[in-house]
Amino acid sequence: MHSHMNRLSGVGPLDFIKRLFTWWNGSTLGTLLQIRSKAVQVGEDEYGNRYFESEKLRYDGRNRRYVLYSDYAEASKVPPVWNGWLHHTYDELPSEIDIKVHGWQGSHVPNMTGTPFAYKPKGSLDRGGVRDAVASDYEAWSPGE
Amino acid sequence: MTDLRKLNIDGTEYEVPADYTLMQACEEYGGAEIPRFCYHERLSVAGNCRMCLVEWVGAPKPQASCALQVKDMRPNRDGTPANIRTNTEVVKKAREGVMEFLLINHPLDCPICDQGGECDLQDQAMGYGRDATRFEENKRAVDDKHMGPLVNTVMTRCIQCTRCVRFITEVAGVQEIGLVNRGENAEITTYLEKSLTSEMSGNVIDLCPVGALTSKPYAFNARPWELDKVDSIDVMDAVGCNIRVDSRRDAVLRILPVTNDDVNEEWISDKTRFVWDGLARQRLDRPFIRKDGKLQPANWDEALAVVAEKLSADPSRIAAIAGDLCDAESMKALKDLMDSLGVRNIDCRQDGSLIGEGPRQSYLFNTTISGIEDADAILLIGTNPRHEAPLINTRIRKTWIDGNLEIGLIGEAADLTYTVDHVGTSAADVATFAKSKSGFAKTFKAAKNPVIIVGAAALRGEAGLALLEAIGQLAKSVNLVRDDFNGFNVLHSAASRVGGLDMGFIPGEGGLATDAILDAAQQGAIETVYLMGADELDTSKLKDAFVIYQGHHGDNGAHVADVILPGAAYTEKSGLYVNMEGRVQLSSRAVAPKGEAKEDWAIIRALSAKMNRVLPYDSLEALRVKLMDDCPSFLSIDSAPSLEAFDPTTLGKAGELSTDMLKNPIADFYMTNPIARASNVMAECSAVIAGLNPELNEAAE
Amino acid sequence: MADLLRDEDRIFKNLYGLHDWKLDGARQRGAWEGTAAMLGQGRDWIIDQVKASGLRGRGGAGFPTGLKWSFMPKEVGNRPHYLVVNADESEPGTCKDREMMRHDPHLLIEGCLVASFAMQANACYIYLRGEYVLERNRLQAAIDEAYAAGLVGKNACGSGFDFDIYMHHGAGAYICGEETALLESLEGKKGQPRLKPPFPANAGLYGCPTTVNNVESIAVVPTILRKGADWFSSFGRDNNKGTKVFSISGHVNRPCNVEEAMSIPMKQLLEHHAGGVRGGWDNLKCVIPGGSSVPLLPKEICDTVLMDFDALREHQSGLGTAAVIVMDQSTDVVKAIARLSYFYKHESCGQCTPCREGTGWMWRVMERMVVGNAKTSEIDMLLDVTKQIEGHTICALGDAAAWPIQGLIRHFRPEIEERINLYRNDKPVFVQAAE
Repeated sequence: MHSHMNRLSGVGPLDFIKRLFTWWNGSTLGTLLQIRSKAVQVGEDEYGNRYFESEKLRYDGRNRRYVLYSDYAEASKVPPVWNGWLHHTYDELPSEIDIKVHGWQGSHVPNMTGTPFAYKPKGSLDRGGVRDAVASDYEAWSPGE
Repeated sequence: MTDLRKLNIDGTEYEVPADYTLMQACEEYGGAEIPRFCYHERLSVAGNCRMCLVEWVGAPKPQASCALQVKDMRPNRDGTPANIRTNTEVVKKAREGVMEFLLINHPLDCPICDQGGECDLQDQAMGYGRDATRFEENKRAVDDKHMGPLVNTVMTRCIQCTRCVRFITEVAGVQEIGLVNRGENAEITTYLEKSLTSEMSGNVIDLCPVGALTSKPYAFNARPWELDKVDSIDVMDAVGCNIRVDSRRDAVLRILPVTNDDVNEEWISDKTRFVWDGLARQRLDRPFIRKDGKLQPANWDEALAVVAEKLSADPSRIAAIAGDLCDAESMKALKDLMDSLGVRNIDCRQDGSLIGEGPRQSYLFNTTISGIEDADAILLIGTNPRHEAPLINTRIRKTWIDGNLEIGLIGEAADLTYTVDHVGTSAADVATFAKSKSGFAKTFKAAKNPVIIVGAAALRGEAGLALLEAIGQLAKSVNLVRDDFNGFNVLHSAASRVGGLDMGFIPGEGGLATDAILDAAQQGAIETVYLMGADELDTSKLKDAFVIYQGHHGDNGAHVADVILPGAAYTEKSGLYVNMEGRVQLSSRAVAPKGEAKEDWAIIRALSAKMNRVLPYDSLEALRVKLMDDCPSFLSIDSAPSLEAFDPTTLGKAGELSTDMLKNPIADFYMTNPIARASNVMAECSAVIAGLNPELNEAAE
Repeated sequence: MADLLRDEDRIFKNLYGLHDWKLDGARQRGAWEGTAAMLGQGRDWIIDQVKASGLRGRGGAGFPTGLKWSFMPKEVGNRPHYLVVNADESEPGTCKDREMMRHDPHLLIEGCLVASFAMQANACYIYLRGEYVLERNRLQAAIDEAYAAGLVGKNACGSGFDFDIYMHHGAGAYICGEETALLESLEGKKGQPRLKPPFPANAGLYGCPTTVNNVESIAVVPTILRKGADWFSSFGRDNNKGTKVFSISGHVNRPCNVEEAMSIPMKQLLEHHAGGVRGGWDNLKCVIPGGSSVPLLPKEICDTVLMDFDALREHQSGLGTAAVIVMDQSTDVVKAIARLSYFYKHESCGQCTPCREGTGWMWRVMERMVVGNAKTSEIDMLLDVTKQIEGHTICALGDAAAWPIQGLIRHFRPEIEERINLYRNDKPVFVQAAE
């Protein structure tokens, strides 16, 4: 699932120029410098996103928390547990708390809207255009011979 | 002269009829709006919702305006008329209080309630309620009840107005809904969790001011504001009930009654109300031509070409029969075409009766439906109005329940929801009754306005003419056809019948009637039969003929057809229908015909062009003008024909009266026409109420 | 202190069942004496005498009995007239009719005859409360005796007047004590009050002119006629004439039924006949003076109040059925009224909205107030809810359910507030059932 996102940020000199002028291919240089100077990395998730926390407290008495996306910057790439950490739902790092993973839980999938993997409802032409019956349908008679 | 009383309403003095209720007086004279839940014009007064309280200045407490009559209002001590106030603080407080009480145990589940958007409780809560509740306790919940395949119940929403109880007991005439328990445990119930067996049960859905009783087939289908609403005319029977067809895009989603005091008041039968799902099943949506013994889809050009060729043959070997659901315009177009071809074998009486030759009064329901209320004795002959015309039956019951009406029956016994004197079973008993001087016969002969209602089915064939003659003699002897009153009535059950008879859609000089056409077709004397929506006949006799079927449902006619021309159902075309009283009514088109189907008159017009015998009208309006020119009775729309005496002894033809039982023609009320037979809901009703499937009758455990 | 009623002036001489209740005993006490002569005086005379005596209905509303009788059509048209006696005595605290029917049934039967004669009713129905089994047996036996003696039945008492008397046993619903609900029940329908108008005098039982009277109102009539209207009206204040049976219950030393003149001071009634309040007059907390449906009165009012319609009305209460329920200082008055609220919630017929929905609401709020689990603002809300019910219902049950709570809030609001404050400060009051 993540592979198609990675194609948006290649590796090489072009990659550096992209990073310089666009904010969506990883972080911009300014962001990178700011995070690096003010925060320390506290972890990395299974998708390669890196998480940082500032040492200085904010006005509300909490640390500032950051994420640096691997490749394409897309907020929904953050898995739920790290999302909870980022938003101070948990004080502790995901590794420090016991989060129960239920059998019915699937693996995390970022928002696929706008990609070929986007959800297509029944009846969508991309899915063959076959829909459930609706009220204005009617059943035609056919000679039963 | 009405008894008028002076009454002061909101500071202005009015002269109000003494028998008015305060509510009527305030609304009609004072121009005030009085909210209400339990009150309904056509039901008895319960006075239990307490929403209609008004202030009577000087009285210690506010008064329920639905129950208090103007004549009960004492004038003030100084002789000035009593003062009624509908807009004071007292009234406002009272309404807010009642509204709050109604809402404390109401679930407020409007977003998932089918009544949402057309709910009296919603509207009045907006208009008269407080902005917020003060109730902090737990709400009451009530078990849902089983009321059969038509009525869905969510009893927690019930506000115990008892409209449904009063309707089922008073109008429908079955004691199947009641209020049990007391205080806050009071519940509306069917007692034994049995289906309602009344053919009028669907009306409780309209009556329910909240979402406690809603339509089961329509459940969660649509919101009222999404629907296109069209006033139209019902064709399930010959009453011509005024209906409103609600549709969304191309689907009819429900049918509701429209008030017409002269016809259906504000009720309709369950068949009228719930037949709509049949409009989406078994539809003929493209022309078919039989090739190599099999019906194959075809296009209009091919189909019309085949038909045109067949109709160009010897006119004496061609016949046309119009069915029960046809509008007058399409029958007129077919008649004009057949006339121009010289075909005389045409008939609109597919039930095989031979009436319709004489004056118009000889086949009408002359007393008129509202005129039943003037009758003081009714003799039913060979009819079960409960099945053939439920709205006539409710009218008779309404008159009967007011007292001063006795009813006799000659024919097959049935439960008609009122007491009937069963005075005979056969045509011969009519003659016996005419001679009898005791029992109901005595009452009937002494009655001021005696009424005879004879079922059209009893008048089939030659035997029917003999019966009609006997009835004519009886009518003459009790003098029930007078200048000021006409008590002779034929009760039709087909919506198209009176219109067809009015325009003369009967055999011409030397032509054959339905039964003769069928026999001739069987013997090969008739080669081509044009069936326009005619399904209620013995199609096995048509095997050897070339059958052209024009209609909207694949039913009996379509199965034997050699060419099928897909037409429009009654919701899909505008047309004129003449009800059994002779009242011409105009229906409207709610949705488009299905698929390639066309409006019926247009099919015949196109056929006439194909045959180079172009009918002289290019539009429905021009067709109507022609119809009215040729047949002036179509000129007055929406009114019953005026009283005109005729000689009842000219009715029928003298003959031997049969001693056979006059059987009721309708074995299954829910299965009388192609649309109803296509409907799943009607099939379920038929199974549940006719008792064919007793398991469905019990609530799902 | 006013003079007490003398024994010879008592109408119910066998109220305590010390003597023979049968016909012979009743005759010795004066019943059935000169009945034929009374009837001989004519209908108008009877009604005029009852009017002149100032007798007001003893069932609770206090409507003048003679006036009520005069509402009946003067002539019998095509519909028969009926007298219906309301013996569905279900008001909590009230037990006077029970004693009359047990111990003096012949007074009632004689009254039925006289009243029916005055109203030209050839049939009289006694609608008896479902729980009154002994009373039913006694009354039926007395009716049988009266039939056997020719006192009722064809040519009753030799007056030429045909009179039949029937007893109907109810099923024990409080609401069937309401006159129109009683008629519905008598007709075999569900006991739910009818809308008025039409009043029963115009369209009552089976749609015919009907008068519904309490047992006591009917039973006192023969004695009034025998002793004269002047005798009866010599008791009590103007507009509150006659003698009355008081049912005294609760925290008194000797609970009892006692016949006493109207307008007797409450204190005198309790001290003299009921042996005084338990623990002395100063231990009195409050009194419900007329059966459960009237507002209670605190001790300050009870000190001086007279027991009659008008005096109690002045203090925003009522004489009702004159069932005096006494509560001393040990009473949890909030709990007591909450229990009454439960009673009305249970007995509401469910026909009209305010009573059906409101009684349950009031009871639930009252139950919370008993422990103090409420907000002080809810006291005013509760008062407002009672006002929303009062006067907005078909029958008086809504009013009856509202008044006790109004009385409580009027006189004991500080007690409720204190309880709420205690609860909020984590010191809830643990309440025992009111005794």
